[in-house]
Amino acid sequence: MKVSLFVTCLVDGIYPHVGEAMARLLARHGVKLEFPEVQTCCGQPAFNSGYWEDARGAAITLLDAFEDSDFVISPSGSCVGMIHHNYEKLFEQDDALLGRAKKLVDKTYEFTQFLVQVLGLKDLGAYFPHKVTYHPSCHGTRLLGVKNEPLELLTHVRGLELVPLPSGEDCCGFGGTFAVKMSDISGAMVEEKAQHVMETEAEVLVGLDMGCLMNIGGHLHFKGKPLRVMHLVELLYEGVKAKA
Amino acid sequence: MNTAKLTSVKDRAKVALNDQFLRNAVRFTTEKLRSGRKTASQDQGNWEEWRERGRQIRLHTIAHLDYYLAQFIENARAQGTHIHFASTSEEAVEIAMKIAEAKQAKSVVKSKSMVSEEIHLNQALESAGIEAVETDLGEYIIQLAGETPSHIIIPAIHKNKQQVAELFSKEAGQQLPADTTILAGFARAKLREKFLEADIGMTGCNFAIAETGSITLFSNEGNARMVSTVPKTQITMMGMERIIPTLDDLEVMATLLPRSATGQKLTVYMSIITGPRRSQDSDGPEEMHIIILDNGRSLQLGDPEFQELLNCIRCGACLNACPVYRHIGGHSYGKVYSGPIGAVLTPALNGNVAEWDDIANASTLCGACWEACPVKIPLHDMLVYLRRKKADQGYTAASERAAFKGFRYVMSNHKRYRLSMKMGAIGQTPLVSNGVISAKVGPLKGWTSHRYAPSLAKQSFRDSWRALDLDVQSELREMDPDIQAKMNQIVESRRKGGRTHG
Amino acid sequence: MAKSSGYLAELEERSKRRQEEFLNNIRTRLGRSSNTPVHPFRGAPDFWLNYDLTQQERIDLFMENWRKVGGEAIQVGSMEEAKTYISDVTQTMQARYLLCFDQPELVEMKLAQTCPGTDVTFWNPDRESELLAKAAGTDIGIGIVDYAVAHTGTILAMSNPYKGRAISLLPTAFMAVIKAETIRTRMGEVLKEVRGLHEAGEMPAGVHFVTGPSRSADIENDLTIGVHGPGVMYAVVVG
Repeated sequence: MKVSLFVTCLVDGIYPHVGEAMARLLARHGVKLEFPEVQTCCGQPAFNSGYWEDARGAAITLLDAFEDSDFVISPSGSCVGMIHHNYEKLFEQDDALLGRAKKLVDKTYEFTQFLVQVLGLKDLGAYFPHKVTYHPSCHGTRLLGVKNEPLELLTHVRGLELVPLPSGEDCCGFGGTFAVKMSDISGAMVEEKAQHVMETEAEVLVGLDMGCLMNIGGHLHFKGKPLRVMHLVELLYEGVKAKA
Repeated sequence: MNTAKLTSVKDRAKVALNDQFLRNAVRFTTEKLRSGRKTASQDQGNWEEWRERGRQIRLHTIAHLDYYLAQFIENARAQGTHIHFASTSEEAVEIAMKIAEAKQAKSVVKSKSMVSEEIHLNQALESAGIEAVETDLGEYIIQLAGETPSHIIIPAIHKNKQQVAELFSKEAGQQLPADTTILAGFARAKLREKFLEADIGMTGCNFAIAETGSITLFSNEGNARMVSTVPKTQITMMGMERIIPTLDDLEVMATLLPRSATGQKLTVYMSIITGPRRSQDSDGPEEMHIIILDNGRSLQLGDPEFQELLNCIRCGACLNACPVYRHIGGHSYGKVYSGPIGAVLTPALNGNVAEWDDIANASTLCGACWEACPVKIPLHDMLVYLRRKKADQGYTAASERAAFKGFRYVMSNHKRYRLSMKMGAIGQTPLVSNGVISAKVGPLKGWTSHRYAPSLAKQSFRDSWRALDLDVQSELREMDPDIQAKMNQIVESRRKGGRTHG
Repeated sequence: MAKSSGYLAELEERSKRRQEEFLNNIRTRLGRSSNTPVHPFRGAPDFWLNYDLTQQERIDLFMENWRKVGGEAIQVGSMEEAKTYISDVTQTMQARYLLCFDQPELVEMKLAQTCPGTDVTFWNPDRESELLAKAAGTDIGIGIVDYAVAHTGTILAMSNPYKGRAISLLPTAFMAVIKAETIRTRMGEVLKEVRGLHEAGEMPAGVHFVTGPSRSADIENDLTIGVHGPGVMYAVVVG
């Protein structure tokens, strides 16, 4: 059984501790992660901007990296959403690549999907005595349909008070290159999101995508707000360590 | 401020973002409509099944549009309706003007019609000396203000009471207070005169029913009924894709449209109009015309990426759901159709890639529009297709093309990727303080004007993997046999060709 | 008149000429032959078609929904009681002008006698020129409507020579008299009846579904009642 980690470029370069938390957490449940190093990026920035040929250049590295994996797991609803929602379109012109892309789609899971749907785990025995709010990222919820899994995991964490995020389903304004191309609109959106986060009076903002969290967290800290912003896998790992 | 002259979405959005009233008004109204839609769809129950049925009906109709259109035309003619065909907006205007001329019309009353906005009919009528009066309260307001609608179903969403009072006072020749009841009362009285003296009533068409040759009109104020009851001549402007096959299908559309648009179970008025008045009837138009408009719609047919665009039932739910629309309002889109549907429809109808501005870039691709759409049009995907068309045909900026070439060069090879991360981690050093980047330089400026940028980690995940892997080995526990069995079973069923996931 | 029919002939000729080209363009783009399509998903989903209420449930649901959108609703046992209600409303509202569908049951109510000083007019094919103006000045329009839909709180009025469209539209108020047995659970049931008329060659020019008083939220999303259409809507369910 080969279970591989698709770490995503953002976690690889900027948030490596998220990947680390995932490897350590899964090891506790008997899952030994592999890390095929030929992987780079899912190609989403180029794909969404309309440069599909350039996107393919990146996406092929994933087809190569996970060719003989049985499961591929990733800490990003957006990058997994890219694979599920777009790879068949991206490779539709080439039968051989399309076949490989379909196989990849079939075995790729966002991290909470894997925990809940495959491993059947909801209660990891974590303890995290803080007030937490959860931002459901757009691609994870809408493209991938990950809605209940993170909530099930969160509600089983002992000591954790989950506060609903008002208008949580609204986009935070990240949108990849959108944040740079349409920076004023993006700025207005993240400001609204941050306001909603502050209204919850939570100590911790948690999510499943470092892109969105980088955006919201970057704004909160820019405004001097002391909130802790973390990926759900970090929270869970910290929680099980605390329990242990 | 009139933003129509500004050439880019970005510039127009900037103006809108600085207009606090506009932002509050649009936010307030879209929030209300959005929660109305959610409540109404929950109350109805089985909403996903309704959406899927609506989608299937629209898909089927558009895939056989020539057939249903022909059936509609035949049945409408049999009821005495005059049918006209217009390939372009100019042709539609010309036909309407011919009818108006023959009728020696002095005034035309209109109920809300996006098609008539699309072809800019009012200007043509005015320049021929024919008074054109918009009778939907919202449309009346923006007509007096000399503006275009900023929302498909709430055209004057951007106007406040004071502004409306000012506009109406000018019309009334006396000062009217900023009181909704009084203002609406003024419009009722004023427009009633207009209805009674008008020579022609002009309507849009929500759905045209092929099996009976009828048009249907949904309205809350009753103006669409007025327009189709009082004047002697009726002209209906209809996009050629408005067809549904049968009256049975109307039940589905009537379930989806009002709930998605305003959260109502049904609009106050839903009228099925079939031909002119019968010989013994004492009201209703004596002559009924339907102008069927193409104007770029047929360009979408046969295009697997855009054909579904014609499934749209113009409910406006995507506007209310869109976080970008909520912040910048409809006028920022610069065209008659705004919001997510407008961002796709406008360039698709115009067909001219070279002239598309950055409208397709004004989206985070969050998919809220798709989720809200009663017929599940994947607008977020279409926005990407538009961007791809633009890039493929060489209409994007050279700097952007170069950037993505660079992206590909780096990302298509893990060694180059690893190296560039290493170099980045070193190169960023002068910009980093306390682990973040706040400098507003180069391409980072857009980002850092609103937030800190994170810095690259000192050691990337891949560089720390070897050590981590060894460490994790020691923490590895035995897997639960049930889980093991389940994983094996998933892999096995996948091997047999079953799709287990995705 | 000569000018008018001349232009129609010209436009008609042009329309016929353009039709083939217009439809062919669509057919070519779709890559379709001209065969008759199979219509796989017609109308509402099956689960919905099985939704049916008893008559009293329909009446109750109709009245509940009608009231929710701001209408007045009452159930009475007979046309005689309906007459009493209508007379009471007319007198309380101090209505001076009534305009009615020309229906035997309404004529028999003799409202002019029960409400002295009130002008009662019946719609009629012979009085075309004055009826619209009359409707615009009417206080209450009255008609026995064709059907009602419980699920949405909707009434249905079809036009014919004795039932002008203006009656449910131009007056300040409208009184819909609804026979209990004409209330259906779903809109689809009523649409089936409409199709029946079409198939019998008796499709009315105007089929109007009305769900409560005219309304608008176009000014600052502030709900106003009675824009263009009647601001007061009564429903009298008989039976």
